[in-house]
Amino acid sequence: MTDTAALMTHGLTKSYGDFRALRGVNLEVQRGEIFGFLGPNGSGKTTTIRCLLDLIRPDGGTVRVLGIDPQVNPVAVRARTGYLPGELRVDDRFTVEGALHFFNNLRENKAAWSHIQALANRLELDLKRPIKNLSKGNKQKVGVVQALMHQPELLLLDEPTSGLDPLMQQQVLQAIREAKANGATVFFSSHVLSEVQEIADRVGIIRRGEVVEVATPQALINRSLRRARVQFKQPVDARVLAQLPGVKVLGRQDGTSVQLQIEGDMDQLIKALAALPVNDFETERPSLEEVFLAYYEDHPASKNTARPGGA
Amino acid sequence: MTTILRDMLSRLRGQMLGWGLALAVLALIVAPLYDTAVQQRAQIEQLLGGLPPEFMALIGNLDRMFSPVGFLDARYFTLLPLLLGVFAAVMGSGLIAADEENGTLDLILAQPISRAQLFAGRLIAFAITLAGICAIGWLGLVIGTRLSTIAIGWIELALPFVSLIGVVLWFGTLALMLSLILPSRRSAAMLTGLVLVVSFFVTTLARLSPNLSRLAVLMPTYYYQGGSALDNFDLGGLVGLLLFSVIFTAIALRRFQRRDIRIAGEGGWRIRRQRFAKQTAHKAPPQ
Repeated sequence: MTDTAALMTHGLTKSYGDFRALRGVNLEVQRGEIFGFLGPNGSGKTTTIRCLLDLIRPDGGTVRVLGIDPQVNPVAVRARTGYLPGELRVDDRFTVEGALHFFNNLRENKAAWSHIQALANRLELDLKRPIKNLSKGNKQKVGVVQALMHQPELLLLDEPTSGLDPLMQQQVLQAIREAKANGATVFFSSHVLSEVQEIADRVGIIRRGEVVEVATPQALINRSLRRARVQFKQPVDARVLAQLPGVKVLGRQDGTSVQLQIEGDMDQLIKALAALPVNDFETERPSLEEVFLAYYEDHPASKNTARPGGA
Repeated sequence: MTTILRDMLSRLRGQMLGWGLALAVLALIVAPLYDTAVQQRAQIEQLLGGLPPEFMALIGNLDRMFSPVGFLDARYFTLLPLLLGVFAAVMGSGLIAADEENGTLDLILAQPISRAQLFAGRLIAFAITLAGICAIGWLGLVIGTRLSTIAIGWIELALPFVSLIGVVLWFGTLALMLSLILPSRRSAAMLTGLVLVVSFFVTTLARLSPNLSRLAVLMPTYYYQGGSALDNFDLGGLVGLLLFSVIFTAIALRRFQRRDIRIAGEGGWRIRRQRFAKQTAHKAPPQ
């Protein structure tokens, strides 16, 4: 673990009976970065996050959160962390204000009430309403406020925008950006790939309890296959293109148009096209969603590993 | 821990008032009846004389019944462990597991408190609530006896309640321990209830059958004195009950500190059966 790592897991394993939820998760998240944790239901996202807070005990491996072993000193970890569970449940006896007071009391009133009110106002959350009367989205806002209110060093957010309307999603994402700007590290899981692409500095993809890829969103996209369509002014022999490394001809029309699939960089293709009478050239960049799905298309069994209520 | 304690006390406030007032009202009704019972002793004895011995075992010694101590024992204190045992089974099994099963424990334990602090705060709140119930019941009994010719001091009247706290704590901590071992709160409450009913009836029927006496000494309600505490308070029995409560508490705490916190929907028998069914049907990982 480097000195700057906010959290680290090495060889993290966890089983529920015969089901292996985590099969050696290796992660390192640097201080001050926003790290998106991607994976479908049942891939191990929630299990990993709950191990970080000592809510569940891993069977093996090493965990360090802000340099602390959560199993040895969970209170110290939680004092410096804000957590939003994936399946948020707040006691129905409370009003929003009562619930936030309760959580703040558990934190020895570390958060200034004016700051809590400001967060609630920003998310258009009515402090006087009973929790039991709140919609799923409004309950999610309570969870977001309690996670952010004490301005923690580390935010562990399990699908933070779940149940929120697009405007509120943007507010939450903005709050996450601001937390980062104030020096916090953010580790969040999500299904919404566009938001991960929008705010994450790095992305980890977990599949069937193993982290299969860690990279910047852009690197993931650049690394993947892309498609191109070339229109020529007159018919050309496209075989020269098919001979280029990483280039595959998917189709052609009258010799004046070809569809190509390119793996890796475009340098050779561009140079080859420079010698041809090109009329038009279009490329399609894959979205992060396509990249993400590509990791799972090869492994259909991974779609069938969901556990109730968590990943 | 004080936040957890205060919160739990506020959650149990209604239970304290409800159960406490029920005991107090019962005492206010029963105690003044003592004078009537003494005045009508001959008729009552004649009436009871025709009852089967099994029923008389539940009522107890007739001479004793017409003494103030015996009357309060038979008419008031005998049923209290059964009544408050239900409270103990329900509340004890829910101290931790209720929040765990409805999914609210995750967020509480994500705050900077240890599992031991949460456990201690809630158990202390349970004990305070139980003491509050008994205190309200005792107050009702003090007032009730003042409305009759029963001349028992108010401090003495507290002794059966002390014994009651001992036996109810036994059941409460048993339920708490079982709730952290068994897969659901409901199964813990049901098992505790079963132990309560068996214990109560074995202890009661042991007055009839000497064979049951050997078994009765193994039952927690055997060490509950009821009205007998007014004559001769058995500190040893109380200490024994409390010792078992400490053992149950220690096992429960150890279990709570070592196990995973379940999320809502996990852990019930129903889900376990579903998993088994899917595993056997598809040989696939559990859903």
